[in-house]
Amino acid sequence: MTLHFLHRHVLEDHLAGFETRPNPNHVNVARRPVILSVLAHSGHEAAVAERLAELAGGSVRFCGPGEWLVAGPALLGEELADRLGEIPGASVCDQSDGKVLMAIGGPSARKILAKCVAADLHGDVFAEGQSANMLCCHVASNLARTGADLFEIIVPRSFAGSVFEELMEMGREYALTASFSED
Amino acid sequence: MTSYRLDAGGAINRAQALSFSFDGRNYKGLQGDTLASALLANDQMLMGRSFKYHRPRGPVTAGSSEPNALLTIGSGARSEPNARATTVELYQGLVAASQNRWPSLKHDIGAVNSLLSPFLGAGFYYKTFMWPAAFWEKLYEPLIRKAAGLGKLALEADPDRYEKAWAHCDLLVIGAGPAGLMAALVAGRAGLRVILADEGFRPGGSLLSESVSVAGLAAVDYAGGLVSELSSLPNVTLMPRTTVFGWYDDMVFGAVERVQKHVASPSPELPVERLWRIVAKRAILASGAEERPLVFGGNDKPGVMTATAARTYLNRYGVAVGGKVAVFTNGGSGYRTAADLAAKGVEVTAVIDARAQSADVAPAGIRVIRNAGVVATNGRHRIDGLLLERAGFEEVIGCDALAMSGGWSPIVHLMCQRGTKPVWSEESQAFLAPNVGNSFVAAGSAAGVETISECLRDGAAKAASLASELGFAAHGANLPDVEGEYDASFAPVWYVPGAKDKAFVDFQNDVAVSDLGAAQREGFRHIEHTKRYTTVGMATDQGKLGNVNTAGIVAAMRGVSPAEIGTTTFRPFYTPVSFGALAGAAQGEHGAPVRTSPLHGWAKKNGASFVEAGLWYRSAWFARDGEKNWRESVDREVLSVRANAGLCDVSTLGKIEIFGAGAAEFLDRIYCNGFLKLPVGKARYGLMLREDGIVFDDGTTSRLGEHHYVMTTTTAYATDVMTHMEFCAQTFWPELDVRFVSVSDQWAQMSLAGPKARIIMSRVVQDDLSDAAFPFLAARAVTLRGGLKARLFRISFSGELAYELAVPAGYGEAVADAIMEAGRDEGICAYGVEALNVLRIEKGFITHNELDGRTTADDVGLGRMMAMQKPDFIGKRLSTRFGLTAADRLQLVGLKPVEPEKQINAGAHLLKEAAKPSLANDQGFVSSACYSPALGSFIALAMLKSGRERVGERIVVWDALRGMEVPADVCAPVFVDAENAKLHV
Repeated sequence: MTLHFLHRHVLEDHLAGFETRPNPNHVNVARRPVILSVLAHSGHEAAVAERLAELAGGSVRFCGPGEWLVAGPALLGEELADRLGEIPGASVCDQSDGKVLMAIGGPSARKILAKCVAADLHGDVFAEGQSANMLCCHVASNLARTGADLFEIIVPRSFAGSVFEELMEMGREYALTASFSED
Repeated sequence: MTSYRLDAGGAINRAQALSFSFDGRNYKGLQGDTLASALLANDQMLMGRSFKYHRPRGPVTAGSSEPNALLTIGSGARSEPNARATTVELYQGLVAASQNRWPSLKHDIGAVNSLLSPFLGAGFYYKTFMWPAAFWEKLYEPLIRKAAGLGKLALEADPDRYEKAWAHCDLLVIGAGPAGLMAALVAGRAGLRVILADEGFRPGGSLLSESVSVAGLAAVDYAGGLVSELSSLPNVTLMPRTTVFGWYDDMVFGAVERVQKHVASPSPELPVERLWRIVAKRAILASGAEERPLVFGGNDKPGVMTATAARTYLNRYGVAVGGKVAVFTNGGSGYRTAADLAAKGVEVTAVIDARAQSADVAPAGIRVIRNAGVVATNGRHRIDGLLLERAGFEEVIGCDALAMSGGWSPIVHLMCQRGTKPVWSEESQAFLAPNVGNSFVAAGSAAGVETISECLRDGAAKAASLASELGFAAHGANLPDVEGEYDASFAPVWYVPGAKDKAFVDFQNDVAVSDLGAAQREGFRHIEHTKRYTTVGMATDQGKLGNVNTAGIVAAMRGVSPAEIGTTTFRPFYTPVSFGALAGAAQGEHGAPVRTSPLHGWAKKNGASFVEAGLWYRSAWFARDGEKNWRESVDREVLSVRANAGLCDVSTLGKIEIFGAGAAEFLDRIYCNGFLKLPVGKARYGLMLREDGIVFDDGTTSRLGEHHYVMTTTTAYATDVMTHMEFCAQTFWPELDVRFVSVSDQWAQMSLAGPKARIIMSRVVQDDLSDAAFPFLAARAVTLRGGLKARLFRISFSGELAYELAVPAGYGEAVADAIMEAGRDEGICAYGVEALNVLRIEKGFITHNELDGRTTADDVGLGRMMAMQKPDFIGKRLSTRFGLTAADRLQLVGLKPVEPEKQINAGAHLLKEAAKPSLANDQGFVSSACYSPALGSFIALAMLKSGRERVGERIVVWDALRGMEVPADVCAPVFVDAENAKLHV
């Protein structure tokens, strides 16, 4: 007997009924990203960081000393895990199902996020490519700046519905829309 | 006509009339008006009744320190009590109502209190309503609260939205008057990120209300120019209608922005108020200065107001506060008001100067009476004259308004909120801002500077200095010439002697000089005691107008300097902040983040009722058709698990992935039992202690590889355990090579329990699950039929043959569906945490009901798990101390009621048979209780004094809350399968 199991995104119900045409301020929820925890063992922190800086195909998010999240498209799944697994002194752990990745972009993205996080997101302070763990809508999250007006939030799956709802509420005055993105 | 709108002038839009209502009557105001200025323009001076004596009151200020003109704005659920009419921005359709009066503002029955006022002074309530004691709560207090008090809250739910937000800047400028505007401009031009916040709806501060010319322009136009340059700078954020109300640690300021308080029907897309947390590297307090009222008899009557207020209504709003205005002053401000009024054609009847001489000059033709004092005012709903006393000679002067000026007090509230007291200056005769370091400085009148030109200069200089501290090159602004300034200096007059009516120091709380005297006489001499005894400076007013006068008067009463009296404590908030703003979006279901399990959808479609467990929503039971209550569902689920199989969502347990060559040693130290020899592919129950030897948490840890483990924690302690591990790894044993990360959300985890669990699981998992191939406590990666990778653990929390299957969260619902389908013919059911609880009580397994932060491993019967031969583990040292090893400690036992149908409740206490029910006879308590369908009896786990040696004893379960006493037999804490035969099949 072969069983086929359907994979279900935790925001499936939350996103049902949204308009498909995105407004200038928009949240893209990645449908099947690959997200991996990378932990550097004692004494290997700098070397692992160096290897991560050269990593192709994944975007590296800083979580804390010797700890990162690496996010990439689903297609790269196994390959990314293998590449990371080869880094000496690093342990890798799949979090693709444990984390939800939302990209919020648009001219008002920073204003919306000012209602969600306490960190200063001014470009001089939190530049493109930077990321950090912080509370977002009361939930421990990782926030990264991926463009001038583009940010990615990675939140634990069990909290994703709650964070998503609050993010959309805070975006109401800027007509924030949301949809799944397939990449 | 007494007060009226002038034909010209004022920073108002005469082309834009706005209709509004007050106490049901319709009025017209202008765009740019406050509610107070619009009411005055309509000759409505009477705006409220005082708190205690119900005395008629009108506005005494034109700003946020207003103690009298407190109105209820809006209606129904949107009504807001105690809004200061002097700051409420007028809008089309505004509905306002007066407060604390019945049946009407003009005819208020409560004013009888005023006749009784000789008896109602400070301390009256405490002395009068003493007996009988029980009457206080039941009768006196409700009556007093009904008689006194201000507006009433709407009891309907607030229909509006609120938000909270963060802002960050190099420089926060608080107050957009001359000093603040100039400071922001200098800093903004230098490239600092600047936030300029002002509580008013129009930036400009005193520039809007003073009749000076700046750089050849009217002051108001000059302010407009500054504001438009500031608006053009991308690094400057202007925040009008924003009150900075608090200064907190690490240079975080609290502010509330009134986003939609000035519109009749707020847009649902926007909040009505937004609470800001502003993180500033530096801040400038440019909050200005408050003009002090003079304290004389009848100084609270409608028509008496500060000279600045009269000037502001005149110059900013184009409103004359009276047709015949008298001025009573001890400094230049009174003369300036007289001059401004005269220039606009308003009759000034007299300038009464408390000083014997001064350099101030009144406008030509106006009578100046020096060395005189006002001792009473005439009139009820508005003054119609005043009684003057000069060296024993009394004279009545006709007037319908009285502008008073008692000198200036810098507004230093924010700077004193973190414990530093303001400093008395003999020279300025004022309490000045304390030195709180370089990060937060006062500028302009808040720093004791007097004139507009000096304020502009001070703001520019302070901003330039802060900018250069932050590494910015600041160029001083070109300071403009200011023409027509006046000398605002004054000679203090704390109290005008000879008062023939109450002389108020605190208008809002109805505190008069006589009350301050009573407090001194009766021993409440410290200023904090004086405050509490008299209520001076309390409530929403917080002594903005009255506190400095209070200090001065108390000092004078005691014959000392105000420096010796000091001030009371300044605390946030500067002005009242609504609970809505403080709550922000955290209302109703958004009160806390919601956590849902990956099997939430599965549980829902199987009919689950959910229970909140922390932030989690856990499936509690799964009702089926015909089941009348939760117990029926739970009983069925338990029996079904014992007879066939059940599937339970255990995804909420904490899961921590552990890596490293030092992981085994780490686990061995963090658990009290041994973990060094746990083989790969096996799970082990582990017990963690705190340093003090008390049990911290429990769970299983499985070894998935040589240097790879996965730990489970209880749902409640997932975060605490992770924090504990981080602390131990980072501080105790940094030499151990171990890293870990939470994977609680990665896995959907389900427990399949019951004699038919293996048959069912084998239909889903393709690996060999025979007892030989996958024995009790086996733990390893498996492959589901179809290829999905999963983890399987043969562990049991029910005493039955059981497996916990973990699959990536996104597949959880589909896999649970498949297991239910595979078990349909075997009689599988979904079961929730209630049945889980019954199953574990029947088996004597413990949870945090037993591990309640007071119990040792031995108390709960797990003493043998303590591997004392290990060199060390957390909790080892202190677990042997006296008290934790005493023989009479409470120990875990089982309880069976003598009559099986008699219910035992958790929390009930235990007594020896025939002992008198009292806590002195307490023998322990019930930690967990349930009905056991397997036994057909209520059962319980309990903590009983020396419990293990008392098995067989009959005791009494005493539930004082429910008035129940149930005899029960003490037994071993295992009710089902004590030999563990069912686990090894």
